[in-house]
Amino acid sequence: MSRVSVPCHVKGTVALQVGDVRTSHGRPGVLVIDVTFPSVAPFELQEITFKNYYTAFLSIRVRQHTSMHTPAKWVTCLRDYCLMPDPHSEEGAQEYVSLFKHQSPSMTFPKWLSHPGPCEQPVPLLEGLPDPSRVSSEVQQMWALTEMIRASHTSARIGRFDVDGCYDLNLLSYT
Amino acid sequence: MLQEESDISLIIAQIVQKLKGSNLYAQLERQAWASLQRPEIKLESLKEDIKEFFKISGLFPLPSHPAAPPEHLKEPLVYMRKAQGSWEKRILKSLNSMCTELSIPLARKRPVGEQKELLNKWNEMGTDEPDLSLFRPVYAPKDFLEVLINLRNPNYENGDSLSFRTHLGLIQVPLKVKDIPELKECFVELGLNTGQLGIDDSTQVPPELFENEHVRIGQKVLAEQDSAAAQQYIRQGSPTALRAELWALILNISSQPEDILYYEQLKTNVIQHDLLVDSLIYKDVKLTASNDDYYFVFEDYLYQVLLCFSRDTSVLNHFAYNSASPPKSYIRGKLGLEEYAVFYPPNGKILSINFFLSVAPLCFLYHEPSKLYQIFREMYVRFFFRLHSISSHPSGIVSLCLLFETLLQTYLPQLFYHLREIGAQPLRISFKWMVRAFSGYLATDQLLLLWDRILGYNSLEILAVLAAAVFAFRAVNLMEVTSLAAAEAVLADLSTLKVMPLLQIFLFATVT
Repeated sequence: MSRVSVPCHVKGTVALQVGDVRTSHGRPGVLVIDVTFPSVAPFELQEITFKNYYTAFLSIRVRQHTSMHTPAKWVTCLRDYCLMPDPHSEEGAQEYVSLFKHQSPSMTFPKWLSHPGPCEQPVPLLEGLPDPSRVSSEVQQMWALTEMIRASHTSARIGRFDVDGCYDLNLLSYT
Repeated sequence: MLQEESDISLIIAQIVQKLKGSNLYAQLERQAWASLQRPEIKLESLKEDIKEFFKISGLFPLPSHPAAPPEHLKEPLVYMRKAQGSWEKRILKSLNSMCTELSIPLARKRPVGEQKELLNKWNEMGTDEPDLSLFRPVYAPKDFLEVLINLRNPNYENGDSLSFRTHLGLIQVPLKVKDIPELKECFVELGLNTGQLGIDDSTQVPPELFENEHVRIGQKVLAEQDSAAAQQYIRQGSPTALRAELWALILNISSQPEDILYYEQLKTNVIQHDLLVDSLIYKDVKLTASNDDYYFVFEDYLYQVLLCFSRDTSVLNHFAYNSASPPKSYIRGKLGLEEYAVFYPPNGKILSINFFLSVAPLCFLYHEPSKLYQIFREMYVRFFFRLHSISSHPSGIVSLCLLFETLLQTYLPQLFYHLREIGAQPLRISFKWMVRAFSGYLATDQLLLLWDRILGYNSLEILAVLAAAVFAFRAVNLMEVTSLAAAEAVLADLSTLKVMPLLQIFLFATVT
């Protein structure tokens, strides 16, 4: 299954603030970013990737068009997902984040989940034991990859720092 | 395969390549084959089980995000990367101006006569007396401290009014540091109810109570060559007789013939090419180490190890996770041509003053030059490099400074405030201890007990805790001083300190 990035238009941030923006002095703690998808063909969104810059909590709401007859409605997919465990310190402040789609067979449309944590349960197998030949070929694939790396030319352990025996240098370079 | 799965497979393949050829790799392979024979291993779910185990055990850091560029892995915060870049540029300029002033090239090939001469006196370079008066160190720790003090996060605003949250120390970046309850959890084996070498092996304590059993366990760990068990064991300290082997086991150093060959190759590189930085190393060791009561006997070893270290290109690998970058140069006459671009020095590290202090304590443990060299190199690329680069890592020097200041301000607020008032910011005194991992300040046996814990906990945070503990210990005297010079005098001599009781009291026996 190949994945492609979906062209999207990210609008500028809008601050959510009570009262008159011009007169009140407080700095708002909530900003809204609108993301629209210009292409009209339907697609299944698998992953959202972004780089954080000092956002502590993230909520995502999606407006879904389910059919021609019902109006589109806003669905909250993610609420207050924590990006910075301690908002007053640097942890997570400039990290790259991915949010994945989690497939749940009982729902008709996909639900969003945050980055999978270790307490997540694996999807239960519905068909019984896996096909041994399929498993065996997967393990073989992994092993073949390892062997390829092993057989490939290993980087020389005794590294050379000179160029053809010459290491005459005048000054250090600033670039 | 799904994208995520192929990422993990690639990472596994990369880990396999890195381990290849090491003793650990052969051990792992043997263990894996043995495990596969066991009936409880289910082959069909093996791949998923392993992935699940990786996630739950926390043994392996989660693979970094695929969109993260290499510089993000070196250091995630942009403003810290920029600060490190500016600091490096200053060092380059300093070295370049020294080159120009003295009309000495950065590097040159030694004429054959000179090569022969150096080879002959390789084991007694200390007897040489060249004129080094014109050379000066490229930078000193206090220059580095000034840079750290001026670090600012452009997105952080302190606010004008003082509050209980205001940080009164010198470091002004909001990194997360542990408080005493978190440190107690982290360093639980240093608690009052656990036996320690450095406390429970003193002459008044009968050895049957702790020491004998601890030594016996240590011998068992060594017999089974269990690296993970050794790391856990050494949290309670290492018996002197077992320390050299235990450290080698934890650092995965085993002297194979190829390692000795590699060291010989480095020695050849030193003989063939003369580097400007060699003179700086030489001067540093000559002036300081040869006058040091503990380290003067190792003067010759220090030259050998540090000169070889500068030629070791394998050290370049650690720049993948070090926020620093190696300096670049071009072969004479080929400026700007990428095929003639090289790193200078070959290992990418321009040494700060007194850098030899990271090597000297190891000379007490290892007498064979190639083994001494390997141990030192591994200690550097695992721990000590973090003391010389600007980064947000919890064991980085910035975090250590902030941890020290925060501990002092939170748990000894009166002392902190007093010192600040008399113009003696505590960090100005403790910085030199931490940046040298206390080498040159503590008695050797105490220093080795401290470095046991660095290895055991895989973290340098203990340096900041000890620094705070020293201030706590001398608090009464410090409260009476009225100047920075007097405060320095109170804390000038640490050679009589016993580190383990200090750490234990500060973490576990002080009312918080």
